[in-house]
Amino acid sequence: MASEGLSYDGCNFFRQRLVLSTLSGKRVKIKNIRSKEDDPGLREFEASFIRLLDKVTNGSRIEINQTGTVLFYQPGLLYGGSVEHECNPQRSIGYYLEALLMLGAFMKTPLKATLRGVTNDRTDPTVDLLKSTALPLMKKFGIDGEGFELKVVKRGMAPGGGGEVVFTCPVRRTIRPIQLTDPGKIKRIRGVAYSARVSPQMANRIVDSARGILNQFLPDIYIYTDHMKGANSGKSPGFGLTLVAETLNGCFLSAEMTSTPQGQGDPVLPEDLGRNCAKLLLEEVHRGGCVDSTNQSLALLLMTLGQQDVSKVLLGPLSPYTIEFLRHIRDFFQIMFKIEVQKPLEDERKGGDKVLLTGVGVGYSNINKTLK
Amino acid sequence: MDGKVRKPKQHQQKHSGPQAEKKKLKKHGASTETDERKRNPKAFAVQSAVRMAKTFHRAQDIKAKKHHIPLVDRTPLEPPPIVVVVVGPPKVGKSTLVRCLIKNFTRQKLGEISGPVTIVSGKKRRLTFMECNNDINTMIDLAKVADLVLMLIDASFGFEMETFEFLNICQVHGFPRIMGVLTHLDSFKNNKTLRKTKKNLKHRFWTEVYQGAKLFYLSGMVYGEYQTQEVKNLGRFISVMKFRPLVWQTSHPYVLVDRMEDLTDPEKVRIDPKCDRTASLYGYLRGTHLKNKGQIHIPGVGDFQVKDVNFLPDPCPLPDAQKKRALNEKERLLYAPMAGVGGVVYDKDAVYIDLPASHVNQLQAEMQPTTELVQSLIDTHATLDAKMAASKVSLFSGSATLDPTDISEQSGEQALWDPKTQRERRKVLFAEEMKDDDEEDDEDEEEESEGGDEGESSGEDDLSEEEDNEEDCLSAFLKKSRGDSVKASGPPVKKSKVEAESERPVFADSEDELEMSEHESEGKDQPLGAGDSGHCSEDESDEESEDESEEGCLMSNTVTKQKEEEEDEDEEGALKWKENLQLKASQAFLRQQESAPNLRKLVYGSVVEVEDDEDEEELGGLFRVSRPQNNKRFQANDLDSSHFHPDTTHNWDLEEMLNSIRDCFVTGKWEEGQDAATLLKEDEELYGDFEDLETGEVQKGQAMREDLSEKSEADSDDDGDNEVEQSEVKMDEEESRKNKRLEKKRRLKERFNAEYDDGDATYFDDLKEELQKQAELNRAEFEDVDDETRVQYEGFRPGMYVRLEISSLPCEFVTSFDPHYPIILGGLGSSEGNVGYLQMRLKKHRWHDRILKTRDPLILSLGWRRFQTIPLYHIEDHNGRHRLLKYTPLHMHCGASIWGPITPQGTGFLALQSLTGIKPNFRIAATGVVLDLDKSVTVVKKLKLIGYPYKIFKNTSFIKGMFNTVLEVAKFEGASVRTVSGIRGQIKKALSTPPGAYRATFEDRLLMSDIVFLRSWFPVAVPQLYNPVTSLLLPIGQKDSWSGMRTLGQLKHDLGIRYKPNSDSLYKPITRAPRRFNKLHIPKELQKALPFKNKPKQQQPKGKTSRDLQRPSVIREPHERKVAALLQALSTVHNYNRKKTHMVQHSKHKEFLKEKGKQEDAKLKRQKEARKKLYRVMGQMDQKKQRSSLKGAPQDD
Repeated sequence: MASEGLSYDGCNFFRQRLVLSTLSGKRVKIKNIRSKEDDPGLREFEASFIRLLDKVTNGSRIEINQTGTVLFYQPGLLYGGSVEHECNPQRSIGYYLEALLMLGAFMKTPLKATLRGVTNDRTDPTVDLLKSTALPLMKKFGIDGEGFELKVVKRGMAPGGGGEVVFTCPVRRTIRPIQLTDPGKIKRIRGVAYSARVSPQMANRIVDSARGILNQFLPDIYIYTDHMKGANSGKSPGFGLTLVAETLNGCFLSAEMTSTPQGQGDPVLPEDLGRNCAKLLLEEVHRGGCVDSTNQSLALLLMTLGQQDVSKVLLGPLSPYTIEFLRHIRDFFQIMFKIEVQKPLEDERKGGDKVLLTGVGVGYSNINKTLK
Repeated sequence: MDGKVRKPKQHQQKHSGPQAEKKKLKKHGASTETDERKRNPKAFAVQSAVRMAKTFHRAQDIKAKKHHIPLVDRTPLEPPPIVVVVVGPPKVGKSTLVRCLIKNFTRQKLGEISGPVTIVSGKKRRLTFMECNNDINTMIDLAKVADLVLMLIDASFGFEMETFEFLNICQVHGFPRIMGVLTHLDSFKNNKTLRKTKKNLKHRFWTEVYQGAKLFYLSGMVYGEYQTQEVKNLGRFISVMKFRPLVWQTSHPYVLVDRMEDLTDPEKVRIDPKCDRTASLYGYLRGTHLKNKGQIHIPGVGDFQVKDVNFLPDPCPLPDAQKKRALNEKERLLYAPMAGVGGVVYDKDAVYIDLPASHVNQLQAEMQPTTELVQSLIDTHATLDAKMAASKVSLFSGSATLDPTDISEQSGEQALWDPKTQRERRKVLFAEEMKDDDEEDDEDEEEESEGGDEGESSGEDDLSEEEDNEEDCLSAFLKKSRGDSVKASGPPVKKSKVEAESERPVFADSEDELEMSEHESEGKDQPLGAGDSGHCSEDESDEESEDESEEGCLMSNTVTKQKEEEEDEDEEGALKWKENLQLKASQAFLRQQESAPNLRKLVYGSVVEVEDDEDEEELGGLFRVSRPQNNKRFQANDLDSSHFHPDTTHNWDLEEMLNSIRDCFVTGKWEEGQDAATLLKEDEELYGDFEDLETGEVQKGQAMREDLSEKSEADSDDDGDNEVEQSEVKMDEEESRKNKRLEKKRRLKERFNAEYDDGDATYFDDLKEELQKQAELNRAEFEDVDDETRVQYEGFRPGMYVRLEISSLPCEFVTSFDPHYPIILGGLGSSEGNVGYLQMRLKKHRWHDRILKTRDPLILSLGWRRFQTIPLYHIEDHNGRHRLLKYTPLHMHCGASIWGPITPQGTGFLALQSLTGIKPNFRIAATGVVLDLDKSVTVVKKLKLIGYPYKIFKNTSFIKGMFNTVLEVAKFEGASVRTVSGIRGQIKKALSTPPGAYRATFEDRLLMSDIVFLRSWFPVAVPQLYNPVTSLLLPIGQKDSWSGMRTLGQLKHDLGIRYKPNSDSLYKPITRAPRRFNKLHIPKELQKALPFKNKPKQQQPKGKTSRDLQRPSVIREPHERKVAALLQALSTVHNYNRKKTHMVQHSKHKEFLKEKGKQEDAKLKRQKEARKKLYRVMGQMDQKKQRSSLKGAPQDD
């Protein structure tokens, strides 16, 4: 067969490449992975990610050279089913979960993934954030139903981990096109202030400080406190806050902040954390759009994999990750998005510039799903 | 009762009561109500709620059944030409029909038709005609791209196998519209048989397509063409036909190639004639959007990556929108580059102009050999041997010819040699029809015998047939001669030579053209004399290329364009130019920074080019300077996180910043249209005016009041006409008012719709509306974007004329290019270019006469592809296990697993055993559908492992011979085993010696003669054969002779290998040895203890008695015998007497004994009495004695 693979340099956007390769069936070769660094090659968390990918697929071929600087990946078919994975604690579960969110709907059998590791850390979107923003976003694309759920069974803070998350996702044959051009006004703000292996009072302190800022805009604010005890609290102490603003049209904007891991950097006061997190949410609101900055790429992917219909989505400023994702989509699916900047009107007080992305789906249909 | 007849009682009308009232009312007031329901409400009252529910359900069911799943309408505004495929067995009139149809639509006569011909048939419709030859490869390929199939049937012959094969192909690959066309109707002399045949064929056609499918009748030819009126009718039918969307076609882009140019460097070809070629292929894009650099499959060639796609101006455009009924002559365009027609042909970088044939007439005439001998020499494609083999001898004129194959194999009732067409025809006979045929034959015979006059007609028939032949010859000759004079626009060139012509119809002209075109492609700028298409204008091409380059680097240009625009603006006002220059400049800069193309450029543009700054310093030519953290590397190995941490966060402590997002919250300010105040006002406008029913006062809404006041104003204005200025203002006002009114109306209507329509809107309606909206959005979104950019967003849309450049095509594709074979570029979806295991449901076709064997290679047509593969057949057991089958079941579906191209589920496929040769039977072996794709297989076959006990304890035995090593046993620990006699057991543990032996426990004691077996399932590997059929790469004239891997049976047949069976498996006569039983042995001890009865009797057989012990038999003398007899008699008498006396004595003694007994009894009685008396006396005495002793003895005494 004449299908040519794609070739990339460096380990940046590693997940995007592997996920898109799996979905498009194109093989990919990544060279020069940290080849000039002191410890070259793939890190453990990347290896762990590859292992996870191997678990959910059937027949994929992965070749890594001895130093780990070159990776060749020939994707198999997405199989799904019941998967358990010990995620490497170098990155949080969000790192792995983001990929599963992208792949989940295109499996042969419904996915039920149990991921163990760090649930909340500072580098990746936490499971709470994904639960409250990514899932409702996916529901707009027609991925919903009984078995669509993300459950935090145990919380595990960085660096020790010990958390557990169960993600179940039904299988879809096709994805609906969406028209998300009007985010609507924010009607309520919800949030979770979580703490594990620290005083339960921490969460309340976070809530108070966060409300202090947000109450200037909206009265309808409710921040849940979630204190995990005993076996469900993982191995390391820590606390954090996830805030989600819901608009009238069902769009979700979110911000989050987690305490610094134990033994790394200066400790953070819960009041500061709450205040900063609230400011981050305001920043996110300022950016605006129908999809928050973390899930931009997920929305774009689902737009790409839709039927051959026009989808539109209004986003805030594109994050570097999303920009690279757009390039990768062009590489793997030969799809370009029409990008238009929408400037706010003179007297409007709705934050910064918005970007309207318009694209036509590739007419992707889930070929893994069995016909009975 | 007698004569007096009693009058019947007269009817007495009622004068009072309800009946009378009713009648009176009827008489006077007449029937006021016309509606029966109202007049007679009781009759329409609900009788039974259950029945009412039932009828309602039924009505709803019927309504719901009519629904189809709504689909988004994705048909482009300017659709591609409709592909009309003309199918039929050879000599049925396909080319003639195409020619006639083209003439009908365009008023142009085409000579040789090769390749697709595109014409404009109406204001909104274009057609592409393609003729399908008799090769099954072509039939399969064209069935996949056809929108409409014209199925030609030779009525004089009936259905042929090809027709049915084609119908089956269509059924599998989505059913395009099919229209049957009956030809050769003029060969029927008898009107009745004609009618009967028509009817029969029609009904048979209906069962195959659908009831009431359109069947056209083309009766007879006029000067080698069909009758104009009939063709016109057919054309009308074609141009109004509606088409259904086929799943495969609507989900894949495809191109039916109508032009091919070889772009390979001639020098490269000269050096290596077998080098891979680069070619550009042209055609209308159909199906769906095609992405650049996608993967395509060319059926018959293989998979290729598209190097580049461009769209070209439409060579055969639809007329511009005009309000006119018919097309004028200029708009009736015809485009057929492969047939050498097309006028001006545009390419990416060249323009080809076709000179009309009259210009090059002379040259062509020169090129054409004049004598027929030379012509025939040129025509030869076969060697003399082949010709000899193919030559036929006709014994009688008009009779069937004989050929070597005829003699060797007596063709069955199905393959018929047709003398007229000089080919074997595969007649299809149906069971009923066969009968019919017979009957008809009989009838015919009868008819013939009926009238002597008619008897001659048969002879006439023969004669006419001969004449026909002669005519054929004649016409061929005529055509030849005509061809010399008017070659280019001349009549059909397809010669029908009768003598010794092989299977292939002559393509002599096409050959020439092909060669020419090849020459052209090699040296384009040489003005070729004979060229049908041959000039390229340099300057135009240059322009084109410039355009291209411009388009290519659009990103970079957009900026410059903008600048230019600005400059233009600036030039307009030379003076304004200088006003606050700095501000303008900064604004312009900002605009440039933030404008959309810039963002696009940021995303898709320049950043990619970072990669090519690969200049590394060398030190002494040996070492390279390694810069560990140069910018790019750092970027390449960055942290991979989707979090967006902006570089500059705003300071959210400032009130300004907080204010900048106030409106994002519900507490902020709302837009004009959604503000609560405005909404309230609107409500007021809509519902403001109402009438107070109690008081009768009419409340007017605000707007109405305004209207009224305005009206009065307007009235007053009207009075003063002469104020022109005022009227202008008024006009404006009126405009605005009008708009306002319209707006209000619209809103009212929306509200009304929301209230009344959506009330009973079903789910179906909602869905339909949603999809309708989506379709509108799809159309509208990119409508105003120019094609160049649009193509980048949504790909090349169907209806465009595209040019695909493909490199690394095999050279045979170009060298043995035959325009009669369709070239299809089928686009592949993502991951459809990969290979994997496919599980399908398959059923052997019921017309295929042999069952299929597992592991016999099979040629599949699946998706775009035709390929050979090795299937494994299997069936699903009740527990979900896929058990391997050796053969396909006869009348059942079974599973099949193959190694092949990944194709979406639900795609149909068909299977063939071979593509070569013409066999009389049905070639389609099986049909089916893809069920599942996987990278592993789950097919298993049964495996019985056999072992023998070598040591038997009570229920435990040691088994050997089942495994070879301890490890093998360890894998099967705990597995259940069974003996032939039915004793079940379990494997326990391996034994150290002998290797592979194990301990097993059973539910009963085994015998040494038992055989132990283990039932297991062994996974079967599907052979990884995927061999695409490369029929298009075969040399011209042999394209239907592709042969791949042979089946085992064929191989054995070809190599003469006989099957050598296992001698153990052969059947032998059963010989049974007589059974011998051992003697019963009883131990001595036991024997001793037994009673005599049960003791074994040791009866030695008597030995021979010695002679001395043998007693001689006595033979008496007659006297002695007499004496002995007498003695015997005397002794008998004596014995009798003695017996008698004994009896008498015995009875006497009995009596005596009786008497004696009596006496004895009496004696005993007496004695008893006496003794009694004595004892009494003795007792009395004793009493006395006692009494006295008690009283004192001396007293009494």
